[in-house]
Amino acid sequence: MSHQAPSNTAAPMIEFIGINKFYGSLPALVDVNAEVKKGEVVVVCGPSGSGKSTLIRTVNRLEEIQSGVLRFDGQDVHAKIGSSAMNHLRSRIGFVFQSFNLFPHLSVLDNVMLSPVKVNGIKRSKAREIALQLLDRVGLSSKAENYPAQLSGGQQQRVAIARALAMEPPAMLFDEPTSALDPEMVGEVLSVMRGLARDGMTMMCVTHEMNFARDVADRVWFMDAGRLLESAPPSAFFGSPQHPRAQRFLSDLRAR
Amino acid sequence: MTLLFNMIGIVSDNWLLLLVGQFPNGPLGGIAATLILSILGIALAFPLSVTMALARLSPWPVLRWPATALVYIVRGVPLLLIILWVYFLLPLLIGESVPGFVTMLATLVIYEGAFLSEIVRAGITALPRGQMDAARALGHSHLGAMRYVILPQALFNMIPSIISQFVSTIKETTLGYIINVPELTFAAGQINNRLLTKPFEVYFMLAIIYFIVCWTLTKLASTLERRIAARRARSMDGVAAPALAAAPAGASRT
Ligand SMILES: Nc1ncnc2c1ncn2[C@@H]1O[C@H](COP(=O)(O)OP(=O)(O)OP(=O)(O)O)[C@@H](O)[C@H]1O
Ligand SMILES: [Mg+2]
Repeated sequence: MSHQAPSNTAAPMIEFIGINKFYGSLPALVDVNAEVKKGEVVVVCGPSGSGKSTLIRTVNRLEEIQSGVLRFDGQDVHAKIGSSAMNHLRSRIGFVFQSFNLFPHLSVLDNVMLSPVKVNGIKRSKAREIALQLLDRVGLSSKAENYPAQLSGGQQQRVAIARALAMEPPAMLFDEPTSALDPEMVGEVLSVMRGLARDGMTMMCVTHEMNFARDVADRVWFMDAGRLLESAPPSAFFGSPQHPRAQRFLSDLRAR
Repeated sequence: MTLLFNMIGIVSDNWLLLLVGQFPNGPLGGIAATLILSILGIALAFPLSVTMALARLSPWPVLRWPATALVYIVRGVPLLLIILWVYFLLPLLIGESVPGFVTMLATLVIYEGAFLSEIVRAGITALPRGQMDAARALGHSHLGAMRYVILPQALFNMIPSIISQFVSTIKETTLGYIINVPELTFAAGQINNRLLTKPFEVYFMLAIIYFIVCWTLTKLASTLERRIAARRARSMDGVAAPALAAAPAGASRT
C-alpha cells in the first residue's frame, strides 16, 4: 500500500446505513450498509447497472434515497435541511464525473476559480493563486488560459479534479473517472489520483482499473443488482473473493 | 416596367414618410417606428422570457404554474386579440388614455415574452445534464448554477433563435395598423389613401421593404447558427454525452 493506512479506530467520513433507493419500481440500491473512514481509499466495482453511480451520487444528494441514513462527516445528508445548508454540504464533497463536465464557456482557470469565488466568496486574486497552484499540481499550469475544448480528455479530467480540489473538500468521489478516456490518457489521471491518496485524501472511487484498486485502495466494495455484496481489502478481494458473483465478475474482467 | 418606375416614383416622393412618418412635425413613424417597436419589444420581452423560463423550470410549483399558464394562454390566442385586449384594458387599468405605440409595445412584450420563454427553456434543457450536476456538486445554488453555468451557454446557443424571433416581431408590428400605430404599414396606408389609384404598386413596394429587412436578418441568423453549431461540436469533442439538439432557429409558431 502506497500511503498511510487509516487506523481501525479512525472516525467515519461517509456512513451508509440501511440505504434503499428505487427508480419507480426498480430497486437501484438495496439495504446498503457500509462506511468509508477518514483517510481511507475505497474502490467500488461491479457489473454495469449494479448501482455504483447511484450509490456514489447519493453521497452528495445528486440522487435522493427512499430510506436509510447517510452521513457525511457526521452530517445527515438526506435529512430535511435548508437549501443553503445543502449547498454548503455539497461544496465540501469533491465530485469527479465520467464525462468531466467542465464548463465549456469558461477558461480552464475560470473553471477552477468559479466556485471558490461565487460559492465561498473568496477574493478573485486569492482564488486565482489557489487555482494556479492546483493546476500546477495536476500538471496543467501551462493550459490555464485555454478553453476545455482545446484540451485532451485526460487533460480535461485533470482540470475537473483541480476544480473539485479548489473547494478544499475533506473527501473526493470519483465516478468512473477514466472510462471515457482513450487508453493512453488513463495513466495521467490515475497518477493524479494516486498522488491524492498518498496525501491522505479520503476517496471513494467507482472504477474498473483493478491495478489502481490493488495498489491504492484500502478496501474494495463489490456491488451487484443494487446490493453491496462484498467489502474487503484488495489482497483478499482479488486473492479469494467470497461471493460467487464477485468471482464471476473478476474472472470476466481477467478474460477481457 | 411601368410598375417598377411607378414604385420607384412612389418611394422617391414619399421616402421621408416611409422612413420616419410625420416626424418631426408629428409622431415618429415609418420604418424607424417599426424597427424601434421591434427592438424595444424584443429587448423588454427578453428579461421577461428568461424569468418565465426559469419559473417554468424551477423546483417550486408556485412559480411553475402561473408561468406555464401564461405561456399556454398567449400561445393559444391570436395576436390580434391580445392587441385588442391591451387596447381596451390598459387604459381602464391605469386610468388614462394610452398612445397606440405603447399599446403595441406592451402587447409585443407579452406575446414575444411567452414565445421567447419557450426558446429559452428549450435552450436550457438542451444542455447536457452533467452541467447542472457539476455546478450543484460544487455547491452552487439552483439559481447560481443557472446564472454562472447554464444561462451563459444556453443564451449563447440561442442567439440565432432570438434573431428569428426578432424577424417575427418585425412582421407582427404590421398589426399595429388596426389601432393606428404610425409604423411602416400605416405610412404605406397613408400613401395609398393619397394616391388612390395605385394600391398594387404601394403594397408591392411595402412587401419588398419588409422582405429586404427580414431576409437580411434571417440570413444573419443562419450564418450565426452555423458558426455556433460548429463551435458547439468542437466543444463537445471527447465528451461522453453530447446534446446537440438546441432550440431550432425560426421556431415555428402555430
Ligand atoms: N435516472 C434513472 N432512471 C431510471 N433508472 C435508472 C436511472 N439511473 C439509473 N437507473 C437504473 O438503475 C440501475 C443502476 O444504475 P447505475 O447507473 O447506478 O449503475 P452503474 O453500476 O453505475 O452502471 P455503469 O457501470 O453502467 O455505470 C440500472 O438498472 C439503471 O438502469
Ligand atoms: Mg455508472
